[in-house]
Amino acid sequence: MELIHNLAVGFGVALTPANLFFALAGALIGTLIGVLPGIGPIATIAMLLPLTFHLEPTSGLIMLAGIFYGAQYGGSTTAILVNLPGETSSVVTCIDGHQMARQGRAGAALAVAALASFFAGCVSTMLIATFAPPLAKVGQSFGAPEYFSLMVLGLIAAVVLAHGSVIKAIAMIILGLLIGLIGTDGNTGGTRFTFGIVELTDGIDVATLAIGIFGIGEIITNLTRPQESRALVTQKITRLWPTREDFQRAWPATLRGTALGSVLGVLPGGGATLSSFAAYALEKRSSKHPTQFGHGAVEGVAGPESANNAGAQTSFIPMLTLGIPGNAVMALMIGALTIHGIQPGPQIMTERPGMFWGMIASMWLGNLMLVIINLPLIGMWVQLLKVPYRFLYLAILLFCGIGVYTVSNSSAAVLLAAFFGVLGYVFTRLECEPAPMILGFVLGPLMEENLRRAMRISSGDPMIFLERPISLGLLIAALALCALVALPAIRSKREEAFQEN
Amino acid sequence: MPFWRLLARRDVLAGLLFVGVAALGLWLSRDYPIGTALRMGTGYVPRLLCWILLGLGAIILVQGLREAQAERPLSFADMSAWRPVIFVTASLVIFGLSIEQLGLVVSILLLIGVGAVAARELRPIETVVAALVLIVLSWGIFIIGLGLTIPVWPEW
Repeated sequence: MELIHNLAVGFGVALTPANLFFALAGALIGTLIGVLPGIGPIATIAMLLPLTFHLEPTSGLIMLAGIFYGAQYGGSTTAILVNLPGETSSVVTCIDGHQMARQGRAGAALAVAALASFFAGCVSTMLIATFAPPLAKVGQSFGAPEYFSLMVLGLIAAVVLAHGSVIKAIAMIILGLLIGLIGTDGNTGGTRFTFGIVELTDGIDVATLAIGIFGIGEIITNLTRPQESRALVTQKITRLWPTREDFQRAWPATLRGTALGSVLGVLPGGGATLSSFAAYALEKRSSKHPTQFGHGAVEGVAGPESANNAGAQTSFIPMLTLGIPGNAVMALMIGALTIHGIQPGPQIMTERPGMFWGMIASMWLGNLMLVIINLPLIGMWVQLLKVPYRFLYLAILLFCGIGVYTVSNSSAAVLLAAFFGVLGYVFTRLECEPAPMILGFVLGPLMEENLRRAMRISSGDPMIFLERPISLGLLIAALALCALVALPAIRSKREEAFQEN
Repeated sequence: MPFWRLLARRDVLAGLLFVGVAALGLWLSRDYPIGTALRMGTGYVPRLLCWILLGLGAIILVQGLREAQAERPLSFADMSAWRPVIFVTASLVIFGLSIEQLGLVVSILLLIGVGAVAARELRPIETVVAALVLIVLSWGIFIIGLGLTIPVWPEW
């Protein structure tokens, strides 16, 4: 009963004209950048983060969330029609989705992708509504030592589940933690790593760092790559509705994909990309006709597409309930909260029920809007794909510049973002994933604060982290994850998971 | 193997980068009060993190040096990479420095003008059209739509 009451509160907030508008705006922007290769949800959310400063916090969050799940819908359109993933989370959709399109079944593939995403969106919204309150209660019982250990576990897990070298990723986290320390130490009032620059005494804004690393860094990386040729499927999309056989094969795959994506989304480091890769592997392995994969198997579209949407949405659970970001997008969400002076953590649900439940309700509404508006608009999205990247990057560059400037109306922030842009490009060339750095950056001040508090509780004895049972359990889990990834069998599996194709 | 070939490996460079940042951090924080675990000073956490980063960077560096030659080295011969790095960065720096004095319109022209050099394929006429469209677009979104207080025209 409480759930119904909560959802009623949520829909009351989400159905106001302003919030409906921002949910729609987020969903449309998300679809747009999902369709366009070369710009992803992290860069977009970073660019728009400064603008949410001028909005109600709830409206801002609703819009940013819409961008994230909207991108999952849009990414599949490009994957199916152009054989080019609009997002990394739709890389595997290219394999069978584009084959379906070449067999003249583009409409069916697009419809299956949209319907599977919608189903996953509904289920994962319900999951958030059901599991968020008990998790937040657990979170509220945590003290400083438990929180510190939880953040350690979260950061380690984020690294283990992400792709690439684990040790480089841990180094990137530490680097992020260090960048997070730049500015004035809130406890002692001393300044750290400011190089004597006045603008740095307040610290670096998360938007400045993210726009630099992801927005500008991505532009440079894309410009140094040769242009991909785009093999657009030009024939008219005649039949949109899938056949009865498509439905019969797609719905079990959708169920499996939704379940897998929901679980993987909650884990730190999980989210859309991991979910879609894992779902494709699952479908291929469990199928009765594995030879059809790669030649237009509808399960290869339904599974990953439901999984990436489910994963994108359930990754909100740890962010909303514990204040712990599992991936870079959630780190930016935390940044959006702190811009408005809202302390992320379990108390959000009780202190701001309207915002909490309003956001959850808006996710379902946003999914509904996406499935309704997306299929009729596919023609328009395809037209947008014809805009060459050489125009697109100028627009992205400008919006990055204006976005950074408006963070604090300061020129220094723009120069700083330009510096981080070069740094982001260097990291990409050196194959150091920048996402863990953002996680470290956002969690840095929180970790230091909790470490200090824990030390005050224990009078300076670090054993407190091992004496408290919950904290000990969390640290053992973190250690076990590290050990696990060192095992050769697991290591090769982990690499395999990201190398479909 | 020549020394520079060894250096041009990804992990070697990454390791050097991390070691360098850690060393810089340790040097910068040399005078920060460390305090005790109970009453942590300004320097406690930063120095701790720098030492960890130094260790991790050293491990990555050693791993990179010990790796077999299988990995393809970074090619610095491809100078085209420098073009976007320089012009994208320059366009933003110019934009940041000019927006307060020269206003939105002029700084957009400067940003597009310099930024367009980063991609070789852009024709002059295309650049002009793109700049005009973007000026109108950002005026509409940021000044009229969101009511941001950015100067639009140069301030004399």
